[in-house]
Amino acid sequence: MSAYKIQEHEYDMVVVGAGGSGLRATFGLAAKGLKTVCITKVFPTRSHTVAAQGGISAALGNMGEDDWRYHYYDTIKGSDWLGDQDAIEYMCKEAPAAIIELEHYGVPFSRTEDGKIYQRPFGGMTTKYGEGPAAQRTCAAADRTGHAMLHTLYQQSLAHDARFMIEYFALDLIWDEEGVCRGVLALDMAEGTLHLFRGHGVVLATGGYGRAYFSATSAHTCTGDGGGLVLRSGLALQDMEFVQFHPTGIYGAGCLITEGVRGEGGILRNSSGERFMERYAPHYKDLASRDVVSRSMTIEIREGRGVGEDKDHILLDLTHLGPEVIHEKLPGIAESARIFANVDVTKQPIPVLPTVHYNMGGIPTNYHGEVVQKVGENPDQVVQGLYAIGEAACVSVHGANRLGSNSLLDLVVFGRAVANRCAETIKSGSAHKVLPPSACDKALANLDKLRNAKGSSPTAEIRLNMQRTMQSDAAVFRTSKTLKEGCDKMATIFSSFEDVKVSDRSLVWNSDLIETYELQNLLYNAVATITSAEQRKESRGAHAHEDFPDRDDANWQKHTLVKVDEKGKAGFDFRPVHMYTLSDDVEVIPPKKRVY
Amino acid sequence: MAEFALPKNSKIQQGKRYPAKPGAKNVREFRVYRWNPEDGANPRIDTYEVDLATCGPMVLDALIKIKNEIDPTLTFRRSCREGICGSCAMNIDGTNTLACTKAIEDCSKGEVPIYPLPHMSVVKDLVPDMTHFYAQYASIKPWLRTQSAAPPKERLQSKEDRAKLDGLYECILCACCSTSCPSYWWNGDRYLGPAILLQAYRWIVDSRDEDTGTRLDELEDPFRLYRCHTIMNCTRTCPKGLNPAKAIAEIKKLMIERRA
Amino acid sequence: MSQFDRFRQPIKNARGLGSAKDGVHHFIVQRVTAVALLFLSIYLIVFVVGLIGADYASARAAVAQPCNAVLLIAFLIASIWHGELGLQVIIEDYVHTPWLALTSRLVIKFVCVLVALASILAVVRIALGA
Repeated sequence: MSAYKIQEHEYDMVVVGAGGSGLRATFGLAAKGLKTVCITKVFPTRSHTVAAQGGISAALGNMGEDDWRYHYYDTIKGSDWLGDQDAIEYMCKEAPAAIIELEHYGVPFSRTEDGKIYQRPFGGMTTKYGEGPAAQRTCAAADRTGHAMLHTLYQQSLAHDARFMIEYFALDLIWDEEGVCRGVLALDMAEGTLHLFRGHGVVLATGGYGRAYFSATSAHTCTGDGGGLVLRSGLALQDMEFVQFHPTGIYGAGCLITEGVRGEGGILRNSSGERFMERYAPHYKDLASRDVVSRSMTIEIREGRGVGEDKDHILLDLTHLGPEVIHEKLPGIAESARIFANVDVTKQPIPVLPTVHYNMGGIPTNYHGEVVQKVGENPDQVVQGLYAIGEAACVSVHGANRLGSNSLLDLVVFGRAVANRCAETIKSGSAHKVLPPSACDKALANLDKLRNAKGSSPTAEIRLNMQRTMQSDAAVFRTSKTLKEGCDKMATIFSSFEDVKVSDRSLVWNSDLIETYELQNLLYNAVATITSAEQRKESRGAHAHEDFPDRDDANWQKHTLVKVDEKGKAGFDFRPVHMYTLSDDVEVIPPKKRVY
Repeated sequence: MAEFALPKNSKIQQGKRYPAKPGAKNVREFRVYRWNPEDGANPRIDTYEVDLATCGPMVLDALIKIKNEIDPTLTFRRSCREGICGSCAMNIDGTNTLACTKAIEDCSKGEVPIYPLPHMSVVKDLVPDMTHFYAQYASIKPWLRTQSAAPPKERLQSKEDRAKLDGLYECILCACCSTSCPSYWWNGDRYLGPAILLQAYRWIVDSRDEDTGTRLDELEDPFRLYRCHTIMNCTRTCPKGLNPAKAIAEIKKLMIERRA
Repeated sequence: MSQFDRFRQPIKNARGLGSAKDGVHHFIVQRVTAVALLFLSIYLIVFVVGLIGADYASARAAVAQPCNAVLLIAFLIASIWHGELGLQVIIEDYVHTPWLALTSRLVIKFVCVLVALASILAVVRIALGA
């Protein structure tokens, strides 16, 4: 493997990914005096956080009574009691301070009449422990909150002189003999050179893997690279069966239409114009949580009440809101609907369909962002030197179903948490351990294989097979039969990667090679997802199993741990859900029936 | 001194043609600029025939289809495919825009010409080198700068003051505007260009920012600001419908106001 | 921007020599002279049209009138100043060799000042009946 020349760089911390959580961690670490580098495959403001629309939740109480404990309750209920309650307590308690911090960084939040941050209602956000009216908890910058936030976080990174390696692709994690993560091997896309970034800690902030599906609101770059790196390192991912379908992706294009539309009063209607959510969620109607709304829409379509020629989608009506509200609060979706659905939202409803949107599962961590694994009888064994945050991680604050506007919160709260943790545990400038000469061999072997791949299946063909399989067999509703078939098909597709064909042999900006790496990561994530779904014999949150339609707390209130080996074979284990809190400020919320 | 002829190795040549599969009904030609720094050859225009019957509506859909099914070596940036990340900015049908929001049927000619953003150095095919553009962004120190101590809650801002940020904060840094500006072509090394000046103005008008004077000081320069000759290409080309020319005019107005 | 040395930090190039903290004066004078020229040009056209068919002596006499002499001098100052500022912009836009830019600006400045002095002197001489 000596044919490849590797440049070595030494830092205290290496962050992989420059979305919301990666940026928050990067400048947080830099501010704490740790020498930090952020490796990112796209320029930071291109990361998919930019596409978040509706807002970021925090019980500020700017628009009516609110309490972080209500937020805590809602998040647990939203998670269908699969979320870890200590982590949820941490997130919801930290939320108001995190939002104030963002505002002080300069996020252009929309405002109330008295100059405070504007907050809108969102699905699953209630008051008085689900007994009161819908909460106005989601802080918004019109319907471009993610964009406003990501740009602000990048600006803060500039203010803190954080160091970025832009358009560098992380190939593999580098470990020592004791199983401590010691760095990342990355490819400089512009030059085609290899770089080993040594760090006392590696933070994975690589986002989700929406592109494992055919139709997703996710960007083309959402390829689960962090999950791929971790699985290829032989570690387990957690709760991968829980894939959130956003109720309102634009029919056809798949682009996101924010839940904020329903927060501002938008209504879902079937072919007879009926507001069908009244039947499924009598109390909160269109503002039930996303899994509930997506299932309701799917049932409507299935029972023949869909709209369009093929009766295969639903309408989102906001014509009654009036042009002023749309112009002030929802200008971005008006633009998206015009471009991608050719609809004037002041006059016509938007055709929508539940679309893959978010991965609740990911790299298991504790609430400090430290990656944990089950080792022996210890379910919370920390993996030295490895951290994960954001959508790539599974803390788990979202459990089986994430509430809208909790993801942006997740990014900043845990991005900050990991910076604080590392500042306590890592000494800046301490010497790097000498690595065994073989440390990069596996990574280089993989690179060599993919660079020179001369098989018969082009990357795009294998990717399409995977996406179609996931779309049809790991959908909103799942059955034992579809899941079994899906597992078999995915096993075949995973093996077909051995026969992948890369056409571009160049070094500079070889996007064919990068897409092949991304496909490899996606395949690992996809296999983990469909096999985890197949083994979970209950329905919970986003995992709606038609042969097991009820939640089974006695047997299944536990996190799935899944490993995928080089042959694509999955192995399972379980971790208990944390049914305890960090303080006496809140009480544990025991499972009960979930009604909206 | 001025050079009047292009250097030999920059002349664009006719490249390959990739015909559509037989039986394709609704064929459209895409003429795409190709250049690979590694092969030592001149840039060329490759022509791809794409069957629109099996292709999405946007130019980006066509590019992805070409990469997936015809020529995997075609290189371009893309990410969100919904016009919010700014990755796929390029020159399509003679105008700088985002490939993901430019409908194929809105392209004027029979064949659709696709080039990288003008007057940037090209890394490969449709990928321009954005380093200097990003460095110029960093040079204006685009973050909230205050002198007063941070309050325990949010800094208050009236709805009217917040509304002044509309049309500014939405910028996605795609560089369509800057690379459409002749002044930026000739003096891009020193002129900040419309995108960066729009960003500068975004902080100048933010009622929470307390460093307006310094920001104006930093901009008052024959090259940084005053290369703008109100050509207005920036406003015409902005794929997000923003008006950088107006933002620049507002900065020039403030420059006078603080002297009057 | 391949003209930059690849070993330099990009921010070094972006910050360059810093802000000249100048330019607004140029901007203001260019516009003030433009507005002045708007009125003075109308005056000049009327003045010249009024002299159509007049002989040399009466044309001289018209120029010599104090009111006309003042306005003519004002026009000369405004137009030459405005022209000089405009030429400066053209050089800044298109001449990228520092010594050449500086030299051409000096030459233009000298020529403009000389032309201004000469033409003002001509009007003054007529006005004072020399």
